[in-house]
Amino acid sequence: MISINNISKKYGQNTVLQIDKLDIPKGQSFGLVGNNGAGKTTLFSLLLDLIQPTTGYIKSKSIKVHESEAWKPFTSSFIDESFLIGYLTPEEYFYFIGDLRGQNKSDVDALLAQFEDFFHGEILNQKKYLRDLSKGNQKKAGIVASFIGNPEIIILDEPFANLDPTTQIRLKGIIKKLSEDKKVTVLVSSHDLMHVTEVSDRIVVLNKGLVVKDIVKSEATLKELEAFFAGSAVEAALEEE
Amino acid sequence: MIQKFISLQWKEFIRSSSFQKGVAIKVLLFIAAAYIGGMAIIAGAGLYLGIKKMIPGIDPMLVVNSFIIFWFMADLLIRYFMQQMPVMNIKPLMTIPIKQKTVIHFLLGKSVISFFNLLPLLVAIPYCVTAYINGNYPLLNILFWLLSIIVITLSLNFLNVLVNKSNTVFYITATLLVSIVACQYFGIYNIAQHAGMVFYGLYMNPYYIVIPIAILAILYYANFNYLNNRFYLDSAISKKVKEVNTSDLSWLDRFGSMATFLKNDVRMIWRNKRPRQVVIMSFLFLFYGVLFFTNKLYNDMPAFLAFASIFITAGFLFSFGQLVPSWDSEHYKMMMSQNIPYRQYLESKWYLMVIAVVISFVLSTPYIYFGWDKYAMIAAGASFNIGINSFVTLFGGALNRVPIKLNERAKAFSNTQGFNPTQLLIALPKLLLPVLLFWLPYYLANYNVNAGIITLAVSGVVGLVFRNYFLTQIENVYQKGKYKTVAAFDEK
Repeated sequence: MISINNISKKYGQNTVLQIDKLDIPKGQSFGLVGNNGAGKTTLFSLLLDLIQPTTGYIKSKSIKVHESEAWKPFTSSFIDESFLIGYLTPEEYFYFIGDLRGQNKSDVDALLAQFEDFFHGEILNQKKYLRDLSKGNQKKAGIVASFIGNPEIIILDEPFANLDPTTQIRLKGIIKKLSEDKKVTVLVSSHDLMHVTEVSDRIVVLNKGLVVKDIVKSEATLKELEAFFAGSAVEAALEEE
Repeated sequence: MIQKFISLQWKEFIRSSSFQKGVAIKVLLFIAAAYIGGMAIIAGAGLYLGIKKMIPGIDPMLVVNSFIIFWFMADLLIRYFMQQMPVMNIKPLMTIPIKQKTVIHFLLGKSVISFFNLLPLLVAIPYCVTAYINGNYPLLNILFWLLSIIVITLSLNFLNVLVNKSNTVFYITATLLVSIVACQYFGIYNIAQHAGMVFYGLYMNPYYIVIPIAILAILYYANFNYLNNRFYLDSAISKKVKEVNTSDLSWLDRFGSMATFLKNDVRMIWRNKRPRQVVIMSFLFLFYGVLFFTNKLYNDMPAFLAFASIFITAGFLFSFGQLVPSWDSEHYKMMMSQNIPYRQYLESKWYLMVIAVVISFVLSTPYIYFGWDKYAMIAAGASFNIGINSFVTLFGGALNRVPIKLNERAKAFSNTQGFNPTQLLIALPKLLLPVLLFWLPYYLANYNVNAGIITLAVSGVVGLVFRNYFLTQIENVYQKGKYKTVAAFDEK
């Protein structure tokens, strides 16, 4: 579905991302973890053609994302609040996205109805603009908007951050359900090792722009990840001394 | 403590992204400020002698005083639309041990440092100096009169802060202003004359200065109180959360696939301060023609009339269009990764501008009063605006990568948002090309106005014929700059 080839991103002398080869098959639920500055958001931005790769290319369904716009109809994402239109109400925003993705009002309503639990009565019919919602509620709206229009690839950057515990658990359920029927490729990044191992089939660890681990999820995955990050914490502490 | 605040503010200023823009912009802004300041000084210096020459036999001081009320009213009006409210990031200060009063005093004090408070001085001081040198006025009286003017200017400053913050004050002030103007205009009550006596009184009796000082003190106290009572995260500092007013925009559905974007843009304009300001400004453009058409001087110079005609229908086109990608800067990443072909995005903006030109043209119908030839000129100008200027403006937008905060007013004079030298260069052909297209045939056809009008109108139609070609070219420019634009809008 997605193939990353020899991609790198440099700012001046500083290499922030360097991935020689990474393939994500259709229907995989892909987890990306790494410390701050590891290159997670850079990778997602490259996938969405929001920054220009220094070398290499990314193919999404054999479309080079930086050469054609044809990947847009089947890709949706929520990276940060700049993906929301602040002066719209959540409903207007959902219908707007629906319009863009060829979904009429009732299609969107039907989809939203499935997320009533997730919204927890704080999104719809609030008579508020998106810009006036709390960070967590903005995130809920943005995440649900990325499900509109049957996308084949969904990219969510740090979807668990800022959410309350109940919503985090609900979101995990939603992502798991999405990946169950193996039609949607879900890419999720997170700082929360537990959440990300729970929802992903495969986990890639980025460290300083490099892929340092690429593991298929098993019972041992969470332990392995914890050991890795605890280790790198020790490493960092030693470096400081 | 105050020094600490000042150093914080200074850092905020020099480290702000708008300050760290090109030197060229700074130079241009400096020139603009120097120009306005210089004009103010010249106006002030020339005022006394000018009045003396034009209205001999009457004490210029009397004349000035009788008009000064209008100056103050205009001052308040301009302030309301242009002056940026004093803001300070007080959130981090709330939890550390600093007296709340100190912060508020500082905040209010900061609002005094503004171009709008300096400008009256630049007029009033030279006026007083020339009046003192040339006239026979006692120094003491002149000095105290000047002081009164300064105090009143400061009062307006604080009144404006209140007007901006409190709806009640806004409505009271607005009603007062409107009724004053109405009384004057319909001759019910001669405000100018009575106000003139009051201001002249300030000059005659220096100790009257206590009145403006008292007003200033009251307004300052009112401001202080207002902020003091609202020094909590959920009131004065945070933006007010207004309940939304959703309106049915389904009438826009007739524009087909563009409707989605048009609806969005209409909501954007309706619900945000900055675009609303632009719409008001572009409405004022409609009256541009009156300046030219009523002046006999220009009637013999049709090239100038053509220039004015372009402006009448181009207000929205120019002021909105030149900031085209910036309007979506707050959510540009989404626009770029959603299922929106760039072409469609640009086309929808183009339609919006064309609709605005058409609306302006309809609204300009009263210009028929000045003669059908003038109206034909406006029509030709509208055609040119639709067929050529719309594309030039969109093209210029591609070179503009300044993020806009939608729900904040444009700062006057310290505003570099959407203002750069490239924009200036792009603006030239928008204005000069139509004048040339009008004047050349007019000149060649032995000063036949119709030749100019027809050429102008036809050029617009020709532009429309090449619409797809132009849009493709513009799309390419936008595509090329995409990454830079995304990065620039991300900075904020």
